[in-house]
Amino acid sequence: MPRLLAGTIALLVAAVIWLPCLHFFFFRPAAKFRQPQGLSPAATELAARHLQLWTDPVQREAELKKMRVSNAEWDFMGRSYLAWSLANLCLRDPANRPAYLQTMDRIIDETLRLEQQEGMYFFLMPYAKDHPFLVRPAHSLFLDGEIALMLAARRTIEEKPAYKPLLTERVDGMAARFKKSKKLLLESYPDECWVFDHGVALDAIKMADRLDGADHSELIRDWLAMARQRLVDPKSGLLISACQTDGTPIYGPEGSSIWMVAHSLQLLDADFARDQYDRARHQLGAITLGFGYAHEWPKTWKGDADIDSGPIIPWFEISAGSSGMAFIGASSFGDDSFLASLATTVEFAGFPKRQNGRLKYCASNQVGDAALLYAATLGPLWETVNHGGRQ
Amino acid sequence: MKKLVAQRPAILRRAEFLSPKDLLQRAGAITVIYFILHLAGLREYTSVLNGTVGSVALGWKLSGFLAVIYILFYLALVVLAPILVLAAGLLLAWQKIGARRATRPDRRRAWLAEL
Repeated sequence: MPRLLAGTIALLVAAVIWLPCLHFFFFRPAAKFRQPQGLSPAATELAARHLQLWTDPVQREAELKKMRVSNAEWDFMGRSYLAWSLANLCLRDPANRPAYLQTMDRIIDETLRLEQQEGMYFFLMPYAKDHPFLVRPAHSLFLDGEIALMLAARRTIEEKPAYKPLLTERVDGMAARFKKSKKLLLESYPDECWVFDHGVALDAIKMADRLDGADHSELIRDWLAMARQRLVDPKSGLLISACQTDGTPIYGPEGSSIWMVAHSLQLLDADFARDQYDRARHQLGAITLGFGYAHEWPKTWKGDADIDSGPIIPWFEISAGSSGMAFIGASSFGDDSFLASLATTVEFAGFPKRQNGRLKYCASNQVGDAALLYAATLGPLWETVNHGGRQ
Repeated sequence: MKKLVAQRPAILRRAEFLSPKDLLQRAGAITVIYFILHLAGLREYTSVLNGTVGSVALGWKLSGFLAVIYILFYLALVVLAPILVLAAGLLLAWQKIGARRATRPDRRRAWLAEL
């Protein structure tokens, strides 16, 4: 047989043997990423790296600077995901609770200081200034909801009297604006209402109710009824990502949003949450040759890649944003086979860097790693809230 | 110059295209280049995959270029290099079986002659 033909056939046969085996070399069982109790190896290493970032201002500054070049929101969300992770870490690893709480307080205090000093636009993307907010005075539910959830999570773990009025003020403000809104939709950006932010804000309101004895159950019930009626895309059955204050959709169902929305709904309506996760898993989640990933849009919706979806890898239509957030969905709903396949992918294509017991994914950034840490630790905080609200 | 080429070790001498040695040489080259890029710290630049600049000082263009180079060689290392090695093994096995088959009739002829 001619050499070239023999070589080509050998290469093809070798590819057929190797490609299905590739994932075995990167395989991580779900338990390596998240454990029902205690800390998984991934959670331990990711937490160690983030704790170091918050004790080393030079390194932290460098990380934040890189993210802010692309998106100021990431600076803020990196703080939120880390603070929420630390609350779960307190419950999973009580021996180190003082260190976790100290870091959590530092994050909250610095975030509040920056918000007060620089104004809310400091954590928003520049287009927030293109048009005025419709509701005056201007408030972003994105900031209010996530800050309120940070404060509520901190107080759920251990009361801090200084944070009580701060949480009450945020919650009362959000509740009052919900009351004034005809459609129960609040702006995160001018005339742009994100379902993600509503889920987080309502979680914070529910947690504050458990902590301080207020009752916003009617608001939560009404919002859920409105969401089912107006915010569900009829073709996919998935919640859309964003709409205008009158309910007109802006962005349809998106992977970078829905996985977290399903997680936040767990605290508000477990059945609705499960339904959204199952639909997202079916329409957005995929496993090829042992590698798990997620699409940004279901087949029934066409969208353009943006800062949330991240670059879309053609052919497989893999979205970095959706795949990262899929960890939160898979962890929340105990979908271990999908979680293991996602963990396998991040070992393969996340470019992990392990050093002195600390882990970072080079293909990610601080907010991405903080979201992964949250996925690796979530659970105990929601359980605590569901069982009464305070540790 | 001629002398230097003549002294080059056998493993570095150019092999015939798609021969087992050629495939192994290519796999080896990929491995060496990847580890040089890795030791140079280019892994850090892969953050462009999520839309984050690898280095504020170097800027988007250079960071992106370094990331692409690193990612290509990483994929070549984990996807292509093992295929090249496996293919080389398959070709060698093929050649051995072919050679054994080719010598078999001679042996039979020799045995018949002995009889």
